[in-house]
Amino acid sequence: MRSRRHTAIAVTALLGLFATTACGAGSADGGGATGGGEIAVAGQFPTESIDPNGALAIDGGTRVASLQLYSPLLETVGPGEFDGKAAESWEINDTATEFTFTLRDGITFSDGSPITGQDVAASFERTVAADSPFSANFVDVGVQATDDTVTFTPAAPDPALLAKLTGVMITPAEATEDSYLDKPVTSGPFTVESFTPGGDLVMVPNDRYWGEKPTLDRVTIRSIPEVAARVTALETGELDIIWGISDDQVTQLNGNTEVQVVSATGSAVTTMWMNASTPALAKAEVRRALWQAVDFDKKIKALYPESGEPADSVIAPTVFGYAPQEPVTYDPDAAKQALVDAGFDFDTTLRFHFSQAQFRQWVKSVVSDLAAIGVKAEALEKEQAVYTEDLLSLNWDINIQQVGTLGLDASYNLGRLYTCAAERTGYCNPELDRMLKLAGTAVDPAERQAAYADATELIWNEAVGMYPMFVKNLFATRASVSGFEPDVEGLPRFDTVSVDE
Amino acid sequence: MLPQLVRRLGLMLFTVWGAVSLTFVILRLAPGDQATVQLGPEATAADVAALRTELGLDRPMFTQYLDYLGGAMTGDFGESYRFRDSAMTIILDRFPATVVLALTATALALTVGLILGILAGRSPGRLADRVISGITLVMQAIPPFWSGIMLILLMALTLRLLPSAGSGDLEHLVLPAVTLAIPFAALIARITRSSVAEVTAEPYIQTARSKGLSERAVLSRHAIRNSVIPVVTMVSLHIGTLMGGAVIVEQVFAWEGVGSLLVSAVGNRDYAIVQGATVLFAIVVVTMNLLADVLNARLDPRIRAGVTS
Repeated sequence: MRSRRHTAIAVTALLGLFATTACGAGSADGGGATGGGEIAVAGQFPTESIDPNGALAIDGGTRVASLQLYSPLLETVGPGEFDGKAAESWEINDTATEFTFTLRDGITFSDGSPITGQDVAASFERTVAADSPFSANFVDVGVQATDDTVTFTPAAPDPALLAKLTGVMITPAEATEDSYLDKPVTSGPFTVESFTPGGDLVMVPNDRYWGEKPTLDRVTIRSIPEVAARVTALETGELDIIWGISDDQVTQLNGNTEVQVVSATGSAVTTMWMNASTPALAKAEVRRALWQAVDFDKKIKALYPESGEPADSVIAPTVFGYAPQEPVTYDPDAAKQALVDAGFDFDTTLRFHFSQAQFRQWVKSVVSDLAAIGVKAEALEKEQAVYTEDLLSLNWDINIQQVGTLGLDASYNLGRLYTCAAERTGYCNPELDRMLKLAGTAVDPAERQAAYADATELIWNEAVGMYPMFVKNLFATRASVSGFEPDVEGLPRFDTVSVDE
Repeated sequence: MLPQLVRRLGLMLFTVWGAVSLTFVILRLAPGDQATVQLGPEATAADVAALRTELGLDRPMFTQYLDYLGGAMTGDFGESYRFRDSAMTIILDRFPATVVLALTATALALTVGLILGILAGRSPGRLADRVISGITLVMQAIPPFWSGIMLILLMALTLRLLPSAGSGDLEHLVLPAVTLAIPFAALIARITRSSVAEVTAEPYIQTARSKGLSERAVLSRHAIRNSVIPVVTMVSLHIGTLMGGAVIVEQVFAWEGVGSLLVSAVGNRDYAIVQGATVLFAIVVVTMNLLADVLNARLDPRIRAGVTS
């Protein structure tokens, strides 16, 4: 009898634990339910650093945080079009070797100290000195500053420098790595209330921001890397905005009237390079035939109905240098005949390497289409670090990745990845090098655009890779959220967001 | 007892050294290193090579190992390149969250497991035993990532009783702790059931009954004390598995513990964090093993006698 009573007590205690915690669940932190204009948001990458010009500057979590916390000199608003942010105006000399920016009058950091040209120059020098992917953008670029101006002097003409500078965020000249561990001084619409690296970043409006103040009282960027957990948290109201969601989750969310899905065209293109340094893929006719053998339209409709649209160029329409091409039409019979005509060795097995689970079905489907015309391909899924190492050492025959264009200028994509010296695609063509050099140095935008169009046509016709899909970034918000507009690169920003209480 | 303890401590140190060394070797043998990940697919081979030199990754492996071992002996695993802070500081910041999760799961598992095990074991073969055995079999077979998602769907999405993800307070603790506890509770229940069934068939239990002791007194004074010895051993040894389970559960529930930190650090080749966290887990496991031996000796005079002799 007593043992039954003990059991009952234990069960009651457990139920009590549930009940106690359940009572508090309705007031979970974040969420529109807390009122007062507070939101909680989460993407696929945790925020491990809020140093905008440090080693993780290009990391997904850091980029989203930087966009809210810091101001660049200028921002891209369209292909080859820029608006001033901290810079009121700028002048470029005739040879694109001197770029002088004049700062807005009276702008300050979040601690009230003035933002000066010296701060901009120091931020730039940190980017160049840091072991950051951005540093490769600024080889041999000098910088001089006064209190209200800053001048950049590339050693060679660099008309794309404006686009490249959109990634340099302004921080105080005296900032060091340690400044970003807790509550850094910021220059953007928000400032930091609290930050746990890899955990929550809580931001409040920067009262001294020079631009329009955010309407929200508080934004919490949470770390929820699992996409299913993010989607659930949005549906339960624990989160107000999420990103890094896939097409199948959109189907689930579309059935919920309390949420809405927002898509934004960024700069990413699904890119499948074919390694021209592999003997089997050395001929352009072979690479074109393989492209023709895959029914990409069908795959996009089946796998990426929300986030994909058939591509007609190597770079996205949002990028300066975009030039549309004649789509490659699916025709397996013609593809097989072209392979036979080109003397393709059907006994060769092509190594198709990829790293992200989101590509798994796509890759298998491509392998299946290739098998239908007798081409053997092996899908090799690799862990990210292994994939990257093999990618750089050209240890693959076909690969797949989403290639974006930072700053929305083709110099970052075509100019960096497709030259012989880059050794990134296995393809080397001095004629392409010449076109890209002209595109990268011509001062006249029309001349640059024409050169990139020529380069794109060559890359497309030579089938350096297959370019099947432009990628849209998907976001989902609670219905109570309004004013949410991702930036032109498809990243979320919260300074324009408001929320119903 | 003392020589035995000294021998065990020596073995512990050897085990931890093995974990320290294996972690170093495996990380270095894995393709792709910190420089590759840090600069990403956008980098050129020259950039990667330059960063490797800056980080000292191109030095001879043995030199790197000696430096690492020297640091590890003082608890210094270096600086995390992602967090730009001491790896041990970051790990120890996260460690309490993992400990809270593991201890709560253990407490839940012990409570449920012991109750079910005793109920089943005191009447082997009867209806209660068969029902409980069936339930525990299912509980043990369910993988934590699946039960975690099911609990989220039920408790967070459908019933809206608990938050689905996050960490820090009691309400966030319930679902990950229950998820982690489910297979553990089943294991404890099955072992307790066998042990109770075995002990209650012993002659001294019959003797106790024949002396006229009530069933409750027989169970609490004689049967449970002796039945609990294998459970204590198993619980102590199982802490390591629980830590392993926490890695997955912390990912599913975005619980900010060492497990989720370790997962992202492995992918990012953040050597300092991976090495520090692995060694910490190794120390926890060997310490729990030692604790299991000490507890067994305390509970069972026969073990004490064996140790002494």
